[in-house]
Amino acid sequence: MSSFFKSKTAQLTIMILSFLAVFVPYFIDVPAMTTFSTKLMTITAIVSAFTLLLALYSQFRRGYTFIQKRKRGWIFKAYMMISIVLMLVFALFGQETGPYNWAMYAIITPLSSVNYSILVFYMASTGARAFRARNTRALLLLITGFIVLFYQAPLTGAFFPQLTPVALYFTGTFVAAVAKMFLISVTVGAIVFGMRVLMGKETTILGFTKEEAS
Amino acid sequence: MVNPLFQVPGIVSGRALGLIFVVVLAILVYYYMSSGKKIYIRRVPGLDAIEEAIGRSAEMGKPVVCSFGIAGGGFDYWTMAGLAILSHVATLTARTGTRLIVPTGGSDASLIVRPVAEEIVRTAYLLEGKVEAFDSNDLPFMSGQQYAYTGGYIGILQRTRPASVIMTGSHASEAMNIAETSNAIGAITITSGSYISNVAALACASDYILIGEEAPAAGAYLSKEPPLRASIRAQDIYKAVSLILIIGGLILMTAGSDIVVRLLVS
Repeated sequence: MSSFFKSKTAQLTIMILSFLAVFVPYFIDVPAMTTFSTKLMTITAIVSAFTLLLALYSQFRRGYTFIQKRKRGWIFKAYMMISIVLMLVFALFGQETGPYNWAMYAIITPLSSVNYSILVFYMASTGARAFRARNTRALLLLITGFIVLFYQAPLTGAFFPQLTPVALYFTGTFVAAVAKMFLISVTVGAIVFGMRVLMGKETTILGFTKEEAS
Repeated sequence: MVNPLFQVPGIVSGRALGLIFVVVLAILVYYYMSSGKKIYIRRVPGLDAIEEAIGRSAEMGKPVVCSFGIAGGGFDYWTMAGLAILSHVATLTARTGTRLIVPTGGSDASLIVRPVAEEIVRTAYLLEGKVEAFDSNDLPFMSGQQYAYTGGYIGILQRTRPASVIMTGSHASEAMNIAETSNAIGAITITSGSYISNVAALACASDYILIGEEAPAAGAYLSKEPPLRASIRAQDIYKAVSLILIIGGLILMTAGSDIVVRLLVS
């Protein structure tokens, strides 16, 4: 049975049928198929939740072997496993109050926020390297960057209101146009990628070697 | 509210043109893939640089770090595109005997993607006859939390000093921290911008960047198989059609006609 589900034909058939079950009701008005599609997506979400449990089990098994062999850094692995178990236990007492809530809002969120705020230094370092007026185009980029930066900063925005329409022009035309084109190209790329997957041509991510796929 | 230019009975209102677009695109992809013609595909410097980066790592005897993103959406197409690139990178590192490190984590869903990534890397080593060189501990799971993963990733970069860092898939705001650290340690940095807000900053921080549809096209591009590569031509045709529609719509709207807008809402 397991060899049947591992076969290329079975996997592609399931994939194509699932694709059609979602694709068809999006475009064609068939109420029965819409209901089926919604239920299929609910089932997928439930199966995904179970997959998460399996992945957690796999992670624990790997971690246990790692600790047992006392590999370099095993103490961190042990710390991670203990943390996962503790958070699972804490979650049983509720997520809005109690130890889970405390761990989230007193430890995890502040630490994540600190890490996120460090991003500003990375951005500044990148900006300092990239925004050098080596030629005319780089100079134009630098001026544009400064206009948008000053517009975003509250004080300069208040003192130099004449910058606002210029900055809005940059963000409302050039940035919007680039964003739309990015979205279009990504969407087209995704459709073509999906086509290759459905045709069984993206061999590696389907878990087949080229020989198996041909 | 703009009136659609046409409506097709039985088709959900406003989605007829979308359906036509998708069906025609599917036919085009099928045609190019089955025609057997060797079609010229424009070069993608970011993808061409992968071989160069791995070659540099092999020469310097330093590891390659390659990640497939934080997989926030599970197996979304960014992640799948990242896994396709990872497979290619693993094949090359196995061939050249270079150590490959794949930091994983960043979201709860990444726990599900990690075993698949491990299997992909293992298969690549197996096919190259170097399965003994594969070490599953080189795919460490950092954390389900985005910024704990980032800290772990940066720690790996600082400690192992790789010669090349290849970041694909869906990286969010943490991409900048990683790319800039990679730059600071002198590694060749290849990234893919999955969010428009990331692209400009990543372009500054990286040596090469994959923009837009270049990352999803990677599997076909790197395969070097003419039929697969030909499917990229269909993407380029559609991009050209989109450009024509945008420019045509702009001119017609200025002239007082909303025909393109009505066509697009059909």
